[in-house]
Parts: sequence; C-alpha cells; structure tokens
Amino acid sequence: MSTTPSPSAAAHRGFFAHLLAVWRDPPQATDYVPRFLPWRALLWGAWVVLLTAGGIGLAQRFLQGHMPAGYGSYVPWGLWIAIYFHGVGMAGGAFFIGALGYVLNWPGFQRGKNLRLVIVLAVAAIVPAFFAVWLDLGHLDRLQSIFLRPNFTSMMTFNAWMYTVFMGIAALCWILSYLKDAGWKPALTAWLKPLLCLAILYAMLFPSQSGAFFGVVDAKAFWHSALMPVLFFTSALTSGAAMLMFTRVLTDAAGGYQTAPVEQQEEHAMMRRLRTFLIAGLAAYFVFEFAEFSIALWSPVSHAPAVELVLFGPYWWVFWIIHLFIGGLVPLALLFSRRRFGWTIAALLVGVCFISARLNVLVPGQAVGELQGLQEAFSHPRLTYIYHATGMEYLVGLFCVALGMTIFVAGRTVNRLVRDWFAQRAPNFGKEAL
Amino acid sequence: MNTDPDSASTPPPALDRREFVRATALVAIGAAASVGVVVKARRPSAPKDPTGPGTIRNHDNLSDVPVTENEDVLLRMERELQVAMAKSVEERKWVMIIDQRKCVGCHACTVGCIAENKLPPGVVYRPVTIEESGVFPNTRLKFTPRPCMQCEEPPCVPVCPVDATWRRPDGITIVDYDACIGCRYCLTACPYGARTSDFGEHYTAGAAVGAPVGEAAPLSGARAPANDWEGRPNHELGKSWDRDAHGLPGTHASPMGNARKCHFCLHRLEAGMLPMCATTCIGRATYFGDANDPRSLVTELLQQNNTHTLLPHKGTKPRVFYIA
Repeated sequence: MSTTPSPSAAAHRGFFAHLLAVWRDPPQATDYVPRFLPWRALLWGAWVVLLTAGGIGLAQRFLQGHMPAGYGSYVPWGLWIAIYFHGVGMAGGAFFIGALGYVLNWPGFQRGKNLRLVIVLAVAAIVPAFFAVWLDLGHLDRLQSIFLRPNFTSMMTFNAWMYTVFMGIAALCWILSYLKDAGWKPALTAWLKPLLCLAILYAMLFPSQSGAFFGVVDAKAFWHSALMPVLFFTSALTSGAAMLMFTRVLTDAAGGYQTAPVEQQEEHAMMRRLRTFLIAGLAAYFVFEFAEFSIALWSPVSHAPAVELVLFGPYWWVFWIIHLFIGGLVPLALLFSRRRFGWTIAALLVGVCFISARLNVLVPGQAVGELQGLQEAFSHPRLTYIYHATGMEYLVGLFCVALGMTIFVAGRTVNRLVRDWFAQRAPNFGKEAL
Repeated sequence: MNTDPDSASTPPPALDRREFVRATALVAIGAAASVGVVVKARRPSAPKDPTGPGTIRNHDNLSDVPVTENEDVLLRMERELQVAMAKSVEERKWVMIIDQRKCVGCHACTVGCIAENKLPPGVVYRPVTIEESGVFPNTRLKFTPRPCMQCEEPPCVPVCPVDATWRRPDGITIVDYDACIGCRYCLTACPYGARTSDFGEHYTAGAAVGAPVGEAAPLSGARAPANDWEGRPNHELGKSWDRDAHGLPGTHASPMGNARKCHFCLHRLEAGMLPMCATTCIGRATYFGDANDPRSLVTELLQQNNTHTLLPHKGTKPRVFYIA
C-alpha cells in the first residue's frame, strides 16, 4: 500500500473517487492511520464510554420525554442550557483567536491548516451545543420555526441566527482557504480574509449575546446586569483559547509529521500566545466576578440572595472547588510554570471546568423567585426553586461531549482528505499562497 | 515520517489595502443587517388578531334574569361583560381586581381554573400565595391570588423566539399553542412566575399502584373515569386541544411541551361568561370587567379604592389590581 497514489492517476480523480481510493487503500503510518500511543488509546476509551453512557441518556430522553429531567417551571433551564452556552462560547472564543491570528499573521496561526483546524473546532463545539438545546425544547419538531418565523426581539433568535450565519461564513472560509493554499482562483480567495473579519465579528457577537440573553431578563435580578455580555465574552475567549491550545497540542502530537524548524518555532509562539490569552482571560473573568459579587454582598441588593446561593448554597463546591480551584487557581499555577505539558493540562482544566461558570449564572439566577410564597402556593416537584440535574441530564451531557469529539476527529480527517486531494492537483499546495 | 503538505515556506502577508477595504465593507454590512433586523422587529406591528365588527359578540344569556337592586355582583359583572362583548375587541380593556380583604384563601379559584382548563400536574394558572405576619397570637394571613397579570408591557412577549405569544387588542396576552417551541424563555422572563410549562404529566400516571392493571385499572385504565377525563380535549383559546391525540395529523397538538398561562378564560368570555376564577370565588373577591366602560363595577372599584399592583418597579404595568 502506498501513502499517495501515482500523481498522474490521482490528479484526474474527483474528490469522491479520492475518498473511495483512500477507503480501499488506506495509507499506512501517516496521519490517516496514526501510530498507537497510550494517550490516544485513553481518548478512544473515553469516547467509547461517553458515547455508551450518553446513548443511554439519549434513549431515555426520546422514550420518556422530559419526565426524568430535573428542571421545571420555576427553574426552567438546567444543565443542557449550560452546555449550550459553554459550547457556543467555546466555539466563538476559539474562532475569534484562531481567525484573528490568521488574519493578523500571528506565528502558529497564519497557515491555512491552522485556520481549518480552528473551524473544525468551532463546529465541533457548536453542534453539540445546538444538540443540547434542541433536546431541551418542549417541541423537538418545531426547531425550524426559529428560522422560518423568527422574532428578532428575542435574544434567542438573534443568537441562533448569528451562529448559523457564522457557521455558513466559516464553511465558506474553509473552502476558500484550500483554494488559496492551492493557488487557485485568486479573485475568489482575495475574499478569504475579508470574510474572516466578518466571521470574527460574529464570533465576538454571539458569545457576548449569550450574556445579553440573560442580561435582558429584568425578571431575574441576578441576570439583569450589564456585565453579563462582558462576562460571557471573557469566558468564551478563555475557554476558547483553552480548547484551542489543547486541541493544537493533541493534533500536533498526533500528526506524526516531521515538522520543519520554522514550524516548531511557530508552535512555541502559538503556545505562548494562547497561554497569555488564558492567563489574561482567567484574571479578567475573576476580576469581573469579584466586582459583581462584592458589590452585591457589600450593599445587599436584589441579587444578593443569588450570589449567596452561588457562594454558600448547596452547590457551593461548584464555585469554590470546580470553578475557582480546579478551573482557576490550578490552571493559573500550571500556566506560570515552564512546562508545556502543564499548560496543556491547564487548558484542559479550563476548557472543562468553565462550564461551572455557566451553571453559576444560570441556576442561581432562576433559583430566587420575585414573588414570596409562590413555591408554597401550589405543590409540585416542577414548581420549586430547587434544581438538581438528574442522571438523564448528566448522561445526555456526556453524549454531547462524545458528539463533539466525533465531529472534531471526523472534521480533521476530512481536512486531511481534502488537503490530499488538492495537493495531488496543486504541487505547490500550501506554498504558493505563503 | 512524512512531510506535512500543509506546511512549508514563509507565512502569508497580513491584510493588504484591498482586503482591508473589503473587510470593512463586509463588517459594516453585517453590523447594519444585524441592527436592521432588530430595529424592524422592535417597531410596532399590526395586530395579529382580527379587529372591528367581526369581533362583536351578542349574548343574551341573562335576558330572562331580571335586574334586582342587591343582586349578586357576579350577575352584574356578567351583564357588563355582555355589554363589553357587544363592542369590537379593540374597544374592550379587560381588568381584574382582587380584593384581598375578602379573600379567605379557599383556593376555589385555583381548583376551578384547573378544572376549566384541564391543567395537568405541574401547570397552574392561578395559585394563591399565603403570607403570614405578626407574632402569635397576633398573627395575620394575607392571601394573594396570582393570575397572569396581562401586563401592558409584557416581558414574556419580546423574548419569544418564534413570535408565538402576543398581546391582543383587548389586553390579554396569549400563547399560540400550535407555534410554541417550548424553549421556556418566557417562563424566565415573567417576574410573576405566571407561566408554567406542560411537561406532559398526567394525574393518573403511577396512581393506584398495586390495583388491577390494564383496562380495569381504577384510575389509569382505558375505561377509568379519571383517565377518560384527562384524555378529553380542553378548549382554551377557543380551540379543541386533544391530549390523547397529541401530535396526530389533523389535530391541534395539546399544549404538551408548551408554555401555558392564564388568558382570563378567553373561551368563556367569547361565550359571554366570566372567567372561571371570578365565578368560583366564594367570597366574591375577584372582579372582572371592561375598564373602558365608565359604568362598570371594575371602573367603580378602581376609582373608589386605593389599588396596587404586584412588583410595580418591574415596569410591566399589570392589568390585575389588588385592594388590600
């Protein structure tokens, strides 16, 4: 078996014929068939576990509807909505940094393959997020209504439309980046960076809008803060930088390529830049959070009860242990070390633990009612201000993680297949445009 | 080891002048389009509901009931209701007044509402909150029935992503159960907690555990009266919502999965009847009528009493007033 077919035969094959050829005659010891590494086995093992456990939750959701869920009418949104905002934020943040780096020519970000990986990461974060929020709907069959009969006074519509448009532009940029690397259609590829600038605008807007999504809800004192969009954008940048760093390290380690010294330097520069983003993002987020909480507690106002719930309520450990310690202090300590391995672990911790930031906005905001005695006025488990995510919700959350991993791996494979298809036709692929 | 075809040579240049101009233009267009759709959506639109003479309803339910001097306020309000219904919808202004001095906390309104609208478990349109004050033995209870406030500035409306809820010309905020996607954004937006979600629960589910199963089951069997009652359609908003035929072609899917809320028993108003909560109130503490009618009881009460609304600082301008 050969890693690349003879140029004359390959150059005349269509893309799907190329796919078929790769399927029939898979190349060995390349990025298609990566070497066995223990951490890779660990990831595959985790994927299988997540998919299996998540499948159980998914089956429950489809067979039993919302019955096994813990949310109700007074706390209408739970874990899945937190996953949604975390995924959307991560996608926006990662794309914002990655695409900005490509446009501004930052070392380690400026190559077409860097950009394409960022696009795949954004899609792998958004699609599971969208899936989670779809499962949260009362009518799964009416999802399309957001696009067919939109109401743009709703931040939800605005959010959904904006990241759908964003994904369209990102897909276009993905195609253009190949054409540019192949040196084809220069008149078209001249639009790549301008389009990226538009996508960057949207990548900045929709995570910020996620904050506005809550900020405009006057009924919830804890949410009704002008700081919300800023907090959400900051956390999007931080978690996006984290996942970008983690996936870059992972994919570079998995590539099995002998990279040129210049690329190794770029890799170091990329890591240092993302590390700076991470440190600055973490610091900024905690400063904003301190400002919000300290003012509420210093001079107790309407949202002080929600802040007290965050800090000292039944889920105090989500803030103190997961968010602050594991998601904040430990990563900061690792990021200040000199070991790149430590930075990678820090990135993973931030990327995973920042969902607690979402939960700490989402749940306490709903858990404090405006009208006294409403909970006691009519007794029903769904008419309480107490929310505990149920097993089904956690399992579906695991499925979303598995879905994200699947999309990422599939996207990366598609990236390579398309790259090879272009490389067979454009000998200077990746060089002409550079 | 291979050489990555993606990698080689030197990095590309940053934005050139032409790219910068194009980027600026695209960003400006993108931003303008975003602002444009919001501004357009924020502008007042034409009423979704029919208005004018077609909305006039002439009822004569009480034509054979003579007016007496000290007749029950229910009779008076029903007569006034029929006068209001004889006007077109945009000329009516429904208000509800709840006299907390008369409310004894019997919850008859809550139960009446549940029966009228066939509300499933976990869905409630008119709970009654109880507030205790003072120190024993000098304690006092205050009861506050809480229907939908039918706000003039309803915060639940603009957040709906699919325009499935709106304020009618007569001031009642309704939900289009055929359009609601069940995102529950409106539930979070209502400061009064007046919207609840129908998660598809049944009162008979899991009831009478250990009793005979199958068709003979006392509560949940196919022939059991309770099950039969739960399966029958309700008639909110003047349509038949069939819970058993949920989602079947040709039926109005029941509001399962939707946000649901009090609508002042719109289907009863259309039939010339008072809302169920006003009818079942044993202390006659709930008044309902047309505030545009200067001779109506509700107008009198609003003029004569120092009424208040719930959470006035929210700026929602409720149409439910309380006399305390």
